[in-house]
Parts: sequence; C-alpha cells; structure tokens
Amino acid sequence: MRVALRHLVRNRRRTLLTLLAVLIPVYFLVFMFGFANANLQDMFETATRFDTGHAQIRAVATRPMGGAIPLMRDPADALAVLATIEGIEGWTVRLDLPAMASAGDRSRAVHVRGVVPEEVAPVGGLADRIVAGEPLATGRGGVVVGEELARLLKLEVGDEVALLGAHPEAAFGAIRAPVTGVYRAPEATLGRTVIYADLETARRLARSEAAATAIVIRVASVASPRDQATLDRVVQEVRAALPAGYEVQDWLELAPLVATYMGILTPALLIVGGIFFALGGLVVLNTIYLSVLERTRELGLILSLGAARRRVVWMVLAEAGAIAVVGAAGGAVTGVALILGVEAFGGIPLWGAAAEFMREMGMSSVLHLTVDRGQVALATGAMAAVALLAAWWPARRASRLEPMEAMRYVD
Amino acid sequence: MSTSAVIRTEGLWKVYRTGVTETPALRGVDLELEEREFTATAGPSGSGKSTLLHLLGGLDRPTGGEIYLAGQPMSGLSKDELARLRLTRIGFVFQAYNLIPVLTVLENTAFVLELQGVRWRERLRRARAILAELGVEKYAHQFPNRLSGGEQQRVAVARAVVSEPAIVLADEPTANLDTKTGLDLIDLMRRMNEEHATTFLFATHDTRLLDRVDRVIGLEDGRVVRDERVR
Repeated sequence: MRVALRHLVRNRRRTLLTLLAVLIPVYFLVFMFGFANANLQDMFETATRFDTGHAQIRAVATRPMGGAIPLMRDPADALAVLATIEGIEGWTVRLDLPAMASAGDRSRAVHVRGVVPEEVAPVGGLADRIVAGEPLATGRGGVVVGEELARLLKLEVGDEVALLGAHPEAAFGAIRAPVTGVYRAPEATLGRTVIYADLETARRLARSEAAATAIVIRVASVASPRDQATLDRVVQEVRAALPAGYEVQDWLELAPLVATYMGILTPALLIVGGIFFALGGLVVLNTIYLSVLERTRELGLILSLGAARRRVVWMVLAEAGAIAVVGAAGGAVTGVALILGVEAFGGIPLWGAAAEFMREMGMSSVLHLTVDRGQVALATGAMAAVALLAAWWPARRASRLEPMEAMRYVD
Repeated sequence: MSTSAVIRTEGLWKVYRTGVTETPALRGVDLELEEREFTATAGPSGSGKSTLLHLLGGLDRPTGGEIYLAGQPMSGLSKDELARLRLTRIGFVFQAYNLIPVLTVLENTAFVLELQGVRWRERLRRARAILAELGVEKYAHQFPNRLSGGEQQRVAVARAVVSEPAIVLADEPTANLDTKTGLDLIDLMRRMNEEHATTFLFATHDTRLLDRVDRVIGLEDGRVVRDERVR
C-alpha cells in the first residue's frame, strides 16, 4: 500500500486527473439522483395527495363503464374491513361522477368529485389551493371549480353552475350549485375537468344516498415512491380481507402516466450514469496501465526479489483502490454538498416555459433536491467497483511479467 | 558430491531461441558451491555469467540439466514456488536498478522482510542493524536517487543479506562503479560473507577483484574453463 500511495503522490498531476475521472461521474450521478428524486417526490405528492391517495378500493366493473368508475351502492362492508388492517393512516369515501357542467351558454364535460371536505383537507391540500372564494364545506351545497374550468365557463365565485350527472350505473340527476370557490390545480387537466362537491351534493346528483366510487386509503409510513414495499404489503392485506366484488388499486395503477415516467426515469438515469462510469473506468484503466508500463523495471525487481504474483496484483489494485475510494468519496461528498447547498437556498426555482411545463405535468415549479443514503452508496460503490475492475487487467499484466525481461525494460 | 553444498548444478544448459536461431549461453555446466564460500564467476561478455546467475536464482529456467538448492531440485517448481524460493533462500544484487525508487533506504532494505511477513518493528530493527553494519545508516530515510552508485549498491547488499539467505547472487555488482568503490563493495560483501556466514557468488569481468575471493569459476562460451581456489 505504501508503494502504491508513494506512486500516487509522485505523479500528482496524473493522480489528480484520475481522481477527477472517478469523482465527476459519482458527483454527477448523486446530483442527478437528487434531481430525479425531486421530480418523483413531487409527482408522488401530487398524485397521492390530490388525486389517487396511496390506494383505492373500488367495485369490480360488471359491465362496460365508458370511462366511469363502477358505483358502490353502499361500501359499508368494505369500510368495516379497513378498520381491521394495521398500518392504515386513514381513509375517505369519494364519489366520482361523469357530468355535464353548464353556465350560461357554455357547457363542458366534467367529473364531479364528491368528497368529505373535513377528511380530505388534512391530506389533500385542496383548501390550500383555493385562489378565490372559500374552501369546500359539508352542508353548504356549493362546488369548487378549477381556474381553467372557471375561465372556460366564465364562472366566478357566487355564480351558479348546472350539473347533469351521467353515470352509467346511476339515475340521471340534475342540480344547480353555487360556485363557492376556485382552486388552482397542480395539473391543468385536473383544473379543466374536476369539480369538487361535498359528498352529499354528489350523492344527490347520483340520486343514491350511500353511493361511492372509491374508498381512498392513506397508508402510514408511506412518504415517497421508495416506500412502495410498505404500501404493497398493506394493499395485499386489504385485498385479502375484502369481500367479493371489490378490488384494490395502488397509486401507480391509478396514475399510469406517473408510473410510466417513474419507470423510465431511474433506468435512464442509470444508463447515463453508466456511460459516465464507463468513461471514468477507461481513464482509470489508462492511468494504471501507464503506471504499470512506467514501473515495469520496478515491478521486475519486486518479482525478482520473490514477491508473490498476487502481491503484485494487490499492489497495483491498491493504487487503483486508493484513487477509487478517494475519488468516489469525493464525488459523493461534493454531490451531497451541492444538494444540501441548493436546498439551503430553497431549492431550484424554475421559470417561464419550464415552470409552465412542470405545472402541466402536475409538478411544482420549485425543485427540492433530496438524495438518500442508498443512492449515494450505489453511486459511490458502483464507481469504486468500476475503477477497481478497470485496474484488474493492468494489475494482472503486471503480475505476469517475467522478472528479468521486466528489469531489462527500457521506456 | 559434498553434503554441505548450498547449490549444485548438473549438466546445465541454456539455449536462447530467436525464431529459428539458437544461441547456447550455457553448455553443460557442472558446479557446486559450498556453504560460506565467497566465489566469483569470471569471464568476458557473453560467456554466460549472468545466465548462470539467473538460472541459479530461479529467475529463468534451464533448457537442460538440473539445479539443486540445498539438495532439492528446482526443475519441478512452479513460478510461485520459485518466487517463494527466491524470497526465502536467495539474496540478489543486480548490476543496476536495484532499489525501489519510491521507498527510502530503510524501507528498501526491509522490503524483502516485509514480503516474508516479518513484523514491522522487527523488520525495521533488522534493516537498521544491517545498514549500520554497512555504513549507510545515515541514509536510512533518504530516497535512492539522493545516493551515489556505490551507496546504492551498499544498500542493495544490505537488502540481499538482511533476510539471511542461503546464498547471495550478485550480477556484475561493480560494473557501474569506479575501481575504488568497486573494490570497497567487494570487501564489504566479503565482510558480510565472513560475519554472517553467507555464501556469495558474484559475476564479474574485472580481474582485479579476483584476488579477494576464495574461489574463481571461469566461464567461456558457456563452459567452465577454470575452477580453482585462490585463497
């Protein structure tokens, strides 16, 4: 090890360049993990808090629904099951109805989402998104519409909107409801299509006193996409306990676009990271090979003195190992430091088209970078392993030198 | 055949092949070195001195014949076994490039002991002691490039004897030194031979060194042409 370290110190410039070749891919990957995590976490929060919950219990469709969610006439038996499952933080009943919304001479196809405002408020964040008027409240009979829909139907707080329910399993219902608030949706599509009403109002529209389309579940200890295993376990338990006629879908099934994006993002990141790692590995290979070539006579001498071949392999790998460990650790430290530094200044704010695009995608226009220990360990360990693997060939070559030939080597 | 032979050869041949050209370097060499002998193998360039030392040291393999080190044949040994033999039984002094440039004199001297797995404190103690014996202790923490050629060769001798090998093989150790320094080095090796009871065999083409040895083995064209005790 001493010989390896002395060589590294003696060739400072080369050592520094090789360190950078190891450091940069790790730094890049750690930072990109932070970036990807910010996106994924944002999408997860938006989807699970505002739309899907962690999972939903729904009725199994028995006939074509034309895009509507099957109706549960009375989900009391399913609700009774939830009380017996450990790990569930809470649940709320929801009624989603396809409907026609009309105001004046304008009409739009919408979804009326009947919720229990008091149950949704603590986790759903709807109240925080009200930009005009009041949040939804039970018994008031009003509705809250998205900014986009308000624009399309020229609605303002205090106006009335006529709703015509059109669920294939419910009787046609029609109501007039005052607009009590306007909300800013995390995603423009939601803002154009979803009208929030309290559950009783929605049930009047469906003309069914206990109807629901979903029981939205939140699971304790699930705070990010990385907690999927915990969620899976609870979903399995609920699935097993439910009576026939119900199914459970988790948020990934309920938000397939998000699931697809998540499915692509991590592999894409790993592929780009892998390319960086491969380039870093090539630099390490080149450096160690040059080092072995320059030290051919020295290695010949060491072999002449009786060093075991595995010891020579170890000497060369020690050199690469020192670079790998210091470089990878340096990359991890600088990557994490950058993430912490960015977060200390409140994240990365996006503006203009980028911010608009993020909103269209249902994401925040401020990216909050996070990285977990596993990802830092993955980036660090993988680069260190690549560097050591790259050094293996020159190390093996060094160990196979013929001592006398090597001592006669002239560079 | 003597029972106290440190090393013995029987009909030792070495032929170098380059394409279809064969160049014999040794042609049936028989010799025997006793314990504590201080022997020179002399001869002109190309006589086979270095080849003989390399074969005896397990750095190369003979084309024919056999070498016995302490009665054990070397021909059946694997590369790793030969390396182990070099490490534990043979000390080397080469003509040039003897020392590892990134290690200090003390570390170079202790290097063989390190390879042998001797504990740190013990190997430094032994290395310091031998450097003191050879008068180069003051350079213990210097790197080799700060030393003269003669001082470097002294350190090489220190490294060769520090592990108390059965035999020290020195290939033209004085070739790059001036006459006085060369003679001093041979005297030093002689002292090590006497004080440590170590067998020495060195190659030289300098006839002025030959009156300092016990025995001279003359080589010409790969054959032993002279084998006589001079002291």
